Amino acid sequence: MVAGPPVPETPAGIGRRARLLAITLESRAPDRAAAWYRRALGLSEAKRLLTAGGVELRFTLRTADAPNTVEPARIVLNFHVDDIRAAEARLVALEAVWVRELERTRWGIIGTVLDFDGNYVQIVEPAPDSPSCLQRREEPR
Amino acid sequence: MTTPTLGSILLGTSDPERLRDWYAAALAPGDGGGGFIEVTPTMFAGTFGDTSLLIDGRSDVAGTNPEPGRVVLNFHVDDARAVAAHLDSLGVTWLVELEERDGGLFGTLVDPDGNYVQVIELKE
Repeated sequence: MVAGPPVPETPAGIGRRARLLAITLESRAPDRAAAWYRRALGLSEAKRLLTAGGVELRFTLRTADAPNTVEPARIVLNFHVDDIRAAEARLVALEAVWVRELERTRWGIIGTVLDFDGNYVQIVEPAPDSPSCLQRREEPR
Repeated sequence: MTTPTLGSILLGTSDPERLRDWYAAALAPGDGGGGFIEVTPTMFAGTFGDTSLLIDGRSDVAGTNPEPGRVVLNFHVDDARAVAAHLDSLGVTWLVELEERDGGLFGTLVDPDGNYVQVIELKE
């Protein structure tokens, strides 16, 4: 029997991957920014925490000058939905600003809007054959 | 319509390989290649809990984030002190070193593009 190559040792205590459990968004008006996500996407809220599929959205007050994001393509939040037309209708009713209207791509149907602070928010109905990490996951129980 | 899930966070970058290698080494150690897959030659995807990080090579962002605090990624870990020691061994840049606050241990580091990344261990 031939021994395989040595397995790199994982430092103690970090055997498990880190979990991306929250996003903090700076806003000129955190309450209004949170309200935008609630209304635009119908996100669930419990005990004043706004969550989307196990990830919490946190809002803090922005004190710097620029009111809107300078480079919105730098960090984009992709919200996966099971009915993109219903998600679109909700955004249209809210008169959201569209950066890219719904478009069929190899990854699924995708549309992009601006949030209250000018960040890019995408709604995505993933294609059935897109990679598993790009698929919609059900809300954790 | 069921409630949307935050399926992924896309990081636009001028150097996707560098950013992928950093997140793999920093936050998914011991996981072959950081578990990132190549979606396209300039886009990589890795799962961190219930959501994925998409690293996307783009020409419409500069080399460094001009507004790094605007969006912060919060990674939760089981043992923040061990993670901090590991990150130190990689020579990462800390904005705020790991410190004890109400609720647990918190530290903020800066990824190669200048984005802020928070490492958190919440108290039980």
